[in-house]
Amino acid sequence: MDVIWFAVFALLLAGYFALEGFDLGVGLLLPVLGRSRDRRDRMVAAMAPYVLANEVWLVALAGTLFGVYPLLEGPVLFGLYPVVVAMLLCWIVRDTGLWFRRRLGGPRWRAFWDGLVWLGSLGLAYGWGPALHGAATGSPLHPLGLMLGVVTTLLMAFHGWTFLAWRAPALTGTARPGRALLVSAVVAALPALAVIALSAPHLLDHTTPGTTLNVLSLMVLPFAPVMLGAQVWVWRTFRPGEDAPRTPSFF
Amino acid sequence: MDVLELARTQFAVTGSLHFLFVVLTLGLAPLVAIMHTRWAISGRPLHEGMTRFWGQIYVVNYALGIVTGLVMEFQFGLSWAGLSHYAGDVFGAPLAMETLLAFFLESTFLGLWIFGWGRLPRLLHLACIWLVALTAYASAFFIMIANSFLQNPAGTVERGGRLELVDWGALVANKAFVFSFPHVVGAGLFTGAMVMVGASAYHLRRRTPDAEFFTRSLRTGVVMAAVGIMITVAFGYAQFAGVQEDKFSAKTWAAVPLGFMIEFGQLLALVVLFVMLPMIGVLHRWRWTHPLLIIMTPVPFVLAVLGWLAREVGRQPWMIWGKLTVADALSPGLTPGMVTASLIGFTAVLGLLAIVDYALIARMVRRGPRDLALGAPAADAPRSPALSL
Repeated sequence: MDVIWFAVFALLLAGYFALEGFDLGVGLLLPVLGRSRDRRDRMVAAMAPYVLANEVWLVALAGTLFGVYPLLEGPVLFGLYPVVVAMLLCWIVRDTGLWFRRRLGGPRWRAFWDGLVWLGSLGLAYGWGPALHGAATGSPLHPLGLMLGVVTTLLMAFHGWTFLAWRAPALTGTARPGRALLVSAVVAALPALAVIALSAPHLLDHTTPGTTLNVLSLMVLPFAPVMLGAQVWVWRTFRPGEDAPRTPSFF
Repeated sequence: MDVLELARTQFAVTGSLHFLFVVLTLGLAPLVAIMHTRWAISGRPLHEGMTRFWGQIYVVNYALGIVTGLVMEFQFGLSWAGLSHYAGDVFGAPLAMETLLAFFLESTFLGLWIFGWGRLPRLLHLACIWLVALTAYASAFFIMIANSFLQNPAGTVERGGRLELVDWGALVANKAFVFSFPHVVGAGLFTGAMVMVGASAYHLRRRTPDAEFFTRSLRTGVVMAAVGIMITVAFGYAQFAGVQEDKFSAKTWAAVPLGFMIEFGQLLALVVLFVMLPMIGVLHRWRWTHPLLIIMTPVPFVLAVLGWLAREVGRQPWMIWGKLTVADALSPGLTPGMVTASLIGFTAVLGLLAIVDYALIARMVRRGPRDLALGAPAADAPRSPALSL
């Protein structure tokens, strides 16, 4: 059972990078590909239907960390205190930027929140470098972690670009098939996969006792098909096609 | 302030902010689902307008619910690592279930509901909002189980200096949970309904052109407010059957918010059940009542936060009643500087965003059901009138 939950944990972490990675990438590319308001609107509209279904993988990851590895939850998050606080603030401004940018009509209002979407995406994408490195080694502000942040940022920007080329090729000038998006998703998840592979023995050693794990398994695992089904439904509903640009964008 | 007081302040500020938005989410989710159901059955533009107008208020409120909730989830590890060290094998399970079974699905279905407008088949679109409402209540269910465990650690034994889960059923049947969960549900319904009542009264008072729209909203609001306040009051008093000894004795100031909540809650219950409900047929015409209805809108929010203050302050000095003090639950090595920095950051950012969010909601209420963004076709698609009455 502890191997199954390790697989769930690894899937949630890798899934977050593969999915939310392109949302953050699109946010990073806002000043690059979205020099006009209309282009930024179309970039945000391209990712908007996926954002809620993507970011929630990290919420689920944190919950699983608490439920399955309670002895690691405190030390890992506390050990990364400044990084976690900064990343939370970035996450908050990125999200509210998306929710608020179209709520008032003025161009300056929208430009302001677009700026925060970019800043929040940048902070989150970069923060994953020190966070991953720190979670694996225990030292959050190590030069290696700071360099890894550059890598995660670039990978997510690349993933975001591939996503746009798949869903809204007019914005990138080149079209990419679904296969390319799959490849960039795997590439974006590589740093996370590496860290989780290295930490596997440590994680497995700290699994919560059998009673708790059984309760979790009985309660959660029967719903796993529903959770995956809901995610698949999102991708089926919003796949690119003739009418994709006409999806209403609330963001 | 020392580090313990700072960490407690941070939890109280972010937790109160979170619940202000959550309580409205819990109330509006079923109301919007009911309106959407009416629309799906009747196909009338009036019902579509109600779904979109109240739905938009629901989702804009939801935004702050998410971001304040993120801080809550991570704060346990940041400030209270002693809790997961001592009781993570118990406390972590309901929180993990909340994220996986409730919020994961809630967020996914909400995205489908917002962006699937006009794309999803009619009944599947309707199913999305009901699933959002269902999973929102599942969220409250698991969070209240976790909180009730702190109030009364049922179903556990201490072994080797740590708490172990022995009986999940006892955690769910916890006497601190069975009455507090419906109490919270009722408070949510009441708050959502009173927002509908207040916003409708505003438009009826100003004689805006949407009289039918807001007369119907007002009636729905009054009925739901009556249902909500009855549940809240009944299960509020029922909780005293399972309350910890000495929790609200004179030595703690938890009795103060409790007293205020009970006094004002009872007064509101009398007003809703014996004045507003009997007058439901004429309330929309009696314009002199409308300023009073508008003034009442924020009261349920204040009472909800007072209720939480009473429950949580009354637990002091315990993190887990009789087992672990808040002082022992603090992350070892946490410094006042760390908490001060994060407290300022979270309070400033979330506080400002909360103000902007409420200003946006107030503006949406003032503008009424025209040019709604929720469910509007994309800009390059042919536009149809947002609402035709």
